[in-house]
Amino acid sequence: MLALVAVLIVGSLGAGADERRYTIAFANLTEEPGATLGATGFTGREVRESFVLAARRLPVDLVFYDNRRDSRTALDNAGDAVRRRVDLFIEYFHEPGANEAVARAFREARIPVLAINYPVGDAPLYAADNVTAGRIGGEALAEFGARAWQAADVIGVVVGAVSNRHDGVPERVQGLVDGLRRRQPSTRIVSLDTQGNPATVATLIGKLLAAQPKAKLLVAALDDTTALAAKSALEAGGRLADAAIVGFGCDRSIHGGANDRKEIDPSNRGSIVLGSVAFYLDRYGYDVLPLALRVLRGERVPSRTMTAHKLITAANVFREYPPYDMQ
Amino acid sequence: MKLASILAAGMLLLLSASGAVAQTDCKKLVPPSPWGPNDQTGATNRVTPAVTKAAAAEIQEGKVVPMSYPLVDGVPLFGTRFTKTILTATSLAPGASFGENELTYMEDTWLSQSHVGTHLDGLGHIGRKDCYFNQIAMGKYITQNNMTKLGLEHLKSFATRGVLIDVVKVLQQSGKFKGNSACKKPCVDKGTVLTSADLQAGLKMYNVTLREGDIVIIHTGWGDLFEQFPAQNATYNSGEPGIGKDAAKWLAEQKVVAVGSDTWAVEVIPGEDPKEAFIVHNLLITDAGIHIIENVRTDLMAAEAARTNRATFFFNMTVPRAVGMTGNFVGIDGIR
Repeated sequence: MLALVAVLIVGSLGAGADERRYTIAFANLTEEPGATLGATGFTGREVRESFVLAARRLPVDLVFYDNRRDSRTALDNAGDAVRRRVDLFIEYFHEPGANEAVARAFREARIPVLAINYPVGDAPLYAADNVTAGRIGGEALAEFGARAWQAADVIGVVVGAVSNRHDGVPERVQGLVDGLRRRQPSTRIVSLDTQGNPATVATLIGKLLAAQPKAKLLVAALDDTTALAAKSALEAGGRLADAAIVGFGCDRSIHGGANDRKEIDPSNRGSIVLGSVAFYLDRYGYDVLPLALRVLRGERVPSRTMTAHKLITAANVFREYPPYDMQ
Repeated sequence: MKLASILAAGMLLLLSASGAVAQTDCKKLVPPSPWGPNDQTGATNRVTPAVTKAAAAEIQEGKVVPMSYPLVDGVPLFGTRFTKTILTATSLAPGASFGENELTYMEDTWLSQSHVGTHLDGLGHIGRKDCYFNQIAMGKYITQNNMTKLGLEHLKSFATRGVLIDVVKVLQQSGKFKGNSACKKPCVDKGTVLTSADLQAGLKMYNVTLREGDIVIIHTGWGDLFEQFPAQNATYNSGEPGIGKDAAKWLAEQKVVAVGSDTWAVEVIPGEDPKEAFIVHNLLITDAGIHIIENVRTDLMAAEAARTNRATFFFNMTVPRAVGMTGNFVGIDGIR
């Protein structure tokens, strides 16, 4: 079923008076309320909103589609965009077979395509770099462990949807294992698989704490919800002093405004949550639309552009995500 | 207030301990004032006797148009700001009057942050790191109670010409208007970037050319949400339409004294670049010494302009000589 969400006409802000305007279609992976993307806490709505905001200053009219995580819908959306003769199509969809068909359709229509997170033919790809993100998080934990617990029995703990074979999770895990072992190659690493259910974190961590009463734990939580659940479990177990946590995603559950007092906050520098590796799904539009314009203007763009992940901590969170409120 | 004092004391301690008081090279971060190295006055230097006299020509009917909102419990406040009054009325009690004439009295204690309601942002409000207007390294000029440079006492008069720009009409006429359903009257939606082209279209609409020393007031309609307080406070504070960077730079080039709007920050929120914080405040206040006036009531003047096809007025606003303060709530009348 076709899932055209909206056609958004963005004013010709910032564009030169004579500059051509382009119609760019963006087919989102899903806009189901609350459904999260890319093994992070970000939703499709946040991804879409980033395109709306980024387009304000660009000579771009946007057409939005919702792929609903469904191949048939994705193909219908692509067909509609071809019929509309959009200038460029941005596809965020996870099924390789459907993506191949989409690539063929646009190749035949001579409409350029950009892909997000999953390849679409030979279209330029903008993607999360899960290996690098994992390594950033793992190294941050390892450095903390080396600084704080030199002589202690230190265990690396990977907690989250560890068995998920999609969404870059295996790469993220591999990166963070590499990072955790960079300083101390013999570091023991334990995996706690939540199978995507953060409610299991308390039990999993509780059992680990009972089995390891004297160990120090470097906890790599595969998403922010899991990171916060891990902190709660450590607190309940009376072991906050024995652990440090890094999350992945850096969504709004773990940081916010000056008055929100979220976990990652300048006034909370003593937290055992050292930070969260930013995936910036809420800024995809700011990265992808300029790439699209370069394609449309005939410029060469790299075949792969990776998200510039960064560890967001209490020390840099308001620099990276300036709040709109103040104290 | 107690919390604010603790935070202020903590901030001073933090600054002292970290050495942050010392010395960013402000010459690299902030341009010098065009009025010289000792200037703490900024754009009100432009309000010369000639400017005020010319502005007086705007008073043709003697009609006074209110341009500030009542400051009362429940109006939208930014962040954790607060304003509260306590009435002292003890002499109204039976037998508590004074003298044979039985004099009684009342007065108020006003516990309030200064940037509430319709208010002026002074030059000490916004900086880059510790560098403020005219390259002043403010870390050296703050005490626990106030600033020792750039306080409101240094400002000159605001008795100049006001110019209303109705961007609701501009965007409606250009087909770019996108409203917000929470507004009872047409309002430009939050996140809408107002460009220099939009402002110039608004001036052209009423055949106005900006003069040095003018105060520009932008009507977005967003103030309709302020007027619905407290019902729409969350929506009001969730974002706003406002000027973007190119409009701020253009206004600075026009050598205006102040820019006001019926919004809580005058600038577009969310901003154009998600990594920048209130960048228009930096461009106007820090770099150009131009004041920002927030939560201005603009709807009445917009209606007046539409009715008479004249968008200029005498801007009547006084600012307390509040020594060392970063801003203050103000009363504004537009006189026609």
